[in-house]
Amino acid sequence: MTPIAPPVLITGLVFEAAPAPADGGDYVPAVGTSREEKEILAALEDKAAAKTASDYQHIVWAYGILWAIFAAYGLFLWRRSARLRADVDALRQALDRPAARGGPGA
Amino acid sequence: MKRKSELVVPLLFLAAAPLAVYSVQRVFLHTPNERTMGTAFKIFFFHVPMGWLCMLMAVISGVAAYVQLRRRSRTAAAVALASAEIGFLGGLGVMLTGPIWGHATWGTPWTGDARQVTTALLWLVIAAYLLLRHFGQHASERLAAALAIFGAVNVPLIYYAVKLWKTTHPTTGVVAKLPPEMWATFWPGLGALLLVSFGLFAIRARQLVLAGELDDAYVRLEDSRA
Repeated sequence: MTPIAPPVLITGLVFEAAPAPADGGDYVPAVGTSREEKEILAALEDKAAAKTASDYQHIVWAYGILWAIFAAYGLFLWRRSARLRADVDALRQALDRPAARGGPGA
Repeated sequence: MKRKSELVVPLLFLAAAPLAVYSVQRVFLHTPNERTMGTAFKIFFFHVPMGWLCMLMAVISGVAAYVQLRRRSRTAAAVALASAEIGFLGGLGVMLTGPIWGHATWGTPWTGDARQVTTALLWLVIAAYLLLRHFGQHASERLAAALAIFGAVNVPLIYYAVKLWKTTHPTTGVVAKLPPEMWATFWPGLGALLLVSFGLFAIRARQLVLAGELDDAYVRLEDSRA
């Protein structure tokens, strides 16, 4: 017995949906593409997508490490500059005080 | 008002910023995947410049160390140390990004090939030089300078390692053979890295010269009051 297709509402109009195939809903191949081919292509797509995602993860890690290294070095230089400024100030104070002793080097 | 020389470093960083942004967006959005290595090849665009930076700074450090030995120049000593520090950073970048790339393409982070080993050797020599300069006694500066010269001599060995021995690394002409769309990504990235590096190098060298002058000033102050 052929099942009766239910009405479908699309953009306000009622259409008759295509009747379901008699064999219980199995895939009906489009012209030139078998179910097997579709499954192989989908598996390959999955594999390629996973590899691409993994590769991008590697790239982001590599890039992040590089800029983190330079940022850490920039921070080191900034702290060094602050120490140098403090040493220069200490020297100025030592010069202003005739009895003062020398301060630390850099 | 700032002197002209003080504007050089900010200008270097200012020039590097747009180049860095441009190169990053090109790497991710406009550079095609390499035929055999796929997406992971994009690590090339910062792995190779870091390698070049490491080798360039090792050569500068070696030459400056030689000048330091010959003329006992404080400026040369500062240049040698500053360039060695930047070279160490470049080497660290190479030693970290290389295994990440190797893991993605070769399936193993370390194959022990000649270029990996010679690069690791250079990085360790630079590390030894830095340890000596930072923690050694005054007399150890000459030994440190000799190490820096040894590091510079190691650079041609890294370059020719892929020709002298059988390695998993590609040959030396890779950059010259890049297709135009990869070429256009590589150079801005390299330019940004070099501009930032020379900016940091200039700051560090200046700091070291100033620190030396400050030490001298303290010694003179002590002497005048003795």
